[in-house]
Amino acid sequence: MGEGRRILPRLEVHNLAKSFGSTQVLRDVSIVVQPGEIHGLVGENGSGKSTLVKLLTGYHTCEKSASISVDGNQLAVPVHWQQAHAAGISVVHQDLGLIDDLSVAENIGVGGYRTRGLFRTIDWRRQKEVAASALERLASSIDPMANVGSLSASERAEVAVARALRDHKLGTGLIILDESTRSLSRDELIRFYDMLNEVVNQGTSVLLVSHSLEEVLTQTHKVTLLRDGCLVGSGLSSSELTEREVVQLMLGKEVRALSIRSQTARQDAVVTVSGLSIGNIKDIHFSAGRGEVVGITGLPGSGFERLPYLLSGAQKATSGMIQINRETVDLSKTSVSRCLRAGIALVPERRELDGLAFELSMRENFSLPTLRSRGRWWFVSKRWQEEDLERMTSDLGIRPPNSSLLIKQLSGGNQQKVLMAKWLSVGPKLLILHEPTQAVDVGAKQDILRQIHKVADTGVCVLVVSTDVMDLASVCDRVLVFSGAGHLSEIETRSGDEILEMIYAGARAV
Amino acid sequence: MLIESETMIENSESIAMTTKFKVVGEAVRRIRTTGVMRQRTFLSKYALLLVWIVMALFFYLSMPGKFGQWATVQSIFGSQEVLVFLGISALTTLSVGEFDLSIASIMGISATMIPVLAGLDHVNIVLACVLAILASLACGLLNAFFVVKVGVSSLIVTLGTGTFLIGVAMWISDSSSVAVTNVAFSKVALYSILGLPVSFYYGLVLVGAFAYVSLWTPIGRHMLFVGSNREVARLAGIQVDRVRVGSYLVASVIAGLGGLLLVSTTGGFNASGAPNYLLPALAAVFLGSAVVQPGRFNPIGTLIGIYFLETGILGLELFGYSGWVQDAFYGAGLVVSVAIASVVRKTVSKG
Repeated sequence: MGEGRRILPRLEVHNLAKSFGSTQVLRDVSIVVQPGEIHGLVGENGSGKSTLVKLLTGYHTCEKSASISVDGNQLAVPVHWQQAHAAGISVVHQDLGLIDDLSVAENIGVGGYRTRGLFRTIDWRRQKEVAASALERLASSIDPMANVGSLSASERAEVAVARALRDHKLGTGLIILDESTRSLSRDELIRFYDMLNEVVNQGTSVLLVSHSLEEVLTQTHKVTLLRDGCLVGSGLSSSELTEREVVQLMLGKEVRALSIRSQTARQDAVVTVSGLSIGNIKDIHFSAGRGEVVGITGLPGSGFERLPYLLSGAQKATSGMIQINRETVDLSKTSVSRCLRAGIALVPERRELDGLAFELSMRENFSLPTLRSRGRWWFVSKRWQEEDLERMTSDLGIRPPNSSLLIKQLSGGNQQKVLMAKWLSVGPKLLILHEPTQAVDVGAKQDILRQIHKVADTGVCVLVVSTDVMDLASVCDRVLVFSGAGHLSEIETRSGDEILEMIYAGARAV
Repeated sequence: MLIESETMIENSESIAMTTKFKVVGEAVRRIRTTGVMRQRTFLSKYALLLVWIVMALFFYLSMPGKFGQWATVQSIFGSQEVLVFLGISALTTLSVGEFDLSIASIMGISATMIPVLAGLDHVNIVLACVLAILASLACGLLNAFFVVKVGVSSLIVTLGTGTFLIGVAMWISDSSSVAVTNVAFSKVALYSILGLPVSFYYGLVLVGAFAYVSLWTPIGRHMLFVGSNREVARLAGIQVDRVRVGSYLVASVIAGLGGLLLVSTTGGFNASGAPNYLLPALAAVFLGSAVVQPGRFNPIGTLIGIYFLETGILGLELFGYSGWVQDAFYGAGLVVSVAIASVVRKTVSKG
């Protein structure tokens, strides 16, 4: 870094750390972004990328040990958002934060309208000038008076970037793009990066947070990689990296030790899905045997994430059937309770929204699905609830084993275990898990994966829908990859890398 | 301002639980043993009860002659049955995450219909009561249709239907007080058992029944989850909309029964007085969420809340403040109770 001292870095962060309760989500992270640089930030879900962004913008408060400086000026920690903004940090969020009904100028002005006069009315003439000059810096030809709703996806992204540039002097500032290019098609991406390079050439810096490794490697100059809240690659040169190397760094090289299940021969199918269609999902067929663990994966956002909800009756499909043992359920007409009765249980992805009631206790959450079958309509005893939960608690290693604790008092990993216990308690024939190891620590991850095997060994058919290819590789007997064309194709492999290659190959085929 | 209240339980092998919490910038770290914790929870669970006792004691000591009479006890516990019914009615919708601001008006419809039908139109009193309860049920259906089926915010719908129903009640009563004189009918509420009117015991039975259903039956637990997290309830196979509709219907029937008791007690009603019952009922429910099961709307807490508020008002009235005291105490009670409940909720979730 010695010779870099002559030009002050746009952003220099050291010793950044953050923990939520007892879970440390970021430790000792540093990142240096030079002026006029596009810097990529990559890592798995839950690796701490978004936390890092939120610390920089003052949404979360970081620990006092951190040092953050912009253009050589030290910011006071924890960062306050106004201070971050004044220093030149602005964020373009995933959803871009645009209001369709308003004009481009109004959207660019939000949060910093120019006012005049005694009553501080908005000065629309100046407002329009501000918008026009921000757009000019992007060499954009968008009419400031156009309605945002009428713009194309890439134009909308330009408007969002223009807003981020609004208050920064020419050639200064750091724009954080937090998954904001997700909705752009390939052609639109090219246009968007042409525009972005215009800004970068003036000296503005960009921190790009993206799941698309291809995009990161082709468009950025430097890359910083995070894994489980730690730095695994700092300011690596993008042109010297391959996608495979990045993935290995992101996921860690060591293959996680999970004993391979002996039972691999496929038994006669007990679960058969046929003709499942809706939106991007086109006529999916597959079957799974008793005690089999089948993984389903695909490109994030490609539509395969809907499968768990379609198969469990939480969302209705356009068409499709699922056969379990000898019972057939029409997935276009079904309901959650119908699927539950057929023996299908869903462990949804979003713990806090769909999985558990955070304000209620562990016991209450655990026994919810079995109240009707285990209790009588006029009386539910607490005994069996406590006994069942106690068994699950020791099986899954839920800590602390105190059934009256509220869910929100547990750590993420234990919440996930309670969620799994809740659905195991109904004794399903088909257990569908959506991202079962998302945002849980390594130890809990192992407990959960081991439990999946244990459940499968009792004859339950388990479907793991996940983007975590390493987990799929270690826990599944078989993995099905959802291609961009809307079908599932089977691969037989025990290597996460190969699954990943399949995912990208499938996406490119479109 | 960011308030960090996430409390994660350390899942290390150590038995002692370290609970970390920060309250608005001030960080406190303590290691507590379970025994101390239990005492603290007990205290925070029944703090309101303690305040009630202290308040009653204060009134008693400052005017032993007036406050210390049996008549005082009678007027605290024997006059609130309508509020108990309305409180439980409000509780029914609040516990599934809905608002029903029309319960007082539904009570008003019922309390107006009975004297109009039985007193003016000479309909059989039993039939009049049945019709009044059916009318209440219809009001509940109206609410449920707009809130659950059409999907309008429950606050808006019930604010509207509440005002609308008062209008209807005024119309059928010609905007004047209506009365019914029927000794047998007034016995329904006023028959005295152990010095208290039987309606007091109706309230106890209703509260007990509600508590039983919410604690010990599947439907009660389903209601709890519908109120706590609708999506979680739906994914557990609960018919969320059915529970919501059901709660509106039950709430309106309970409100209608409250109206029946009101007429039975007083012998008549003036529809313009109906709105005065709404706020005390809500205040009691919110106040009740600070006690017994802190952080949750609960029936026994609601009952305590009602008698707590009435004790305060009666005490102040005996001091010589009258008229304005009631409104002032109920209004302040609502705000203070919600504030207390939210503070209690925070401390409990940290325990």
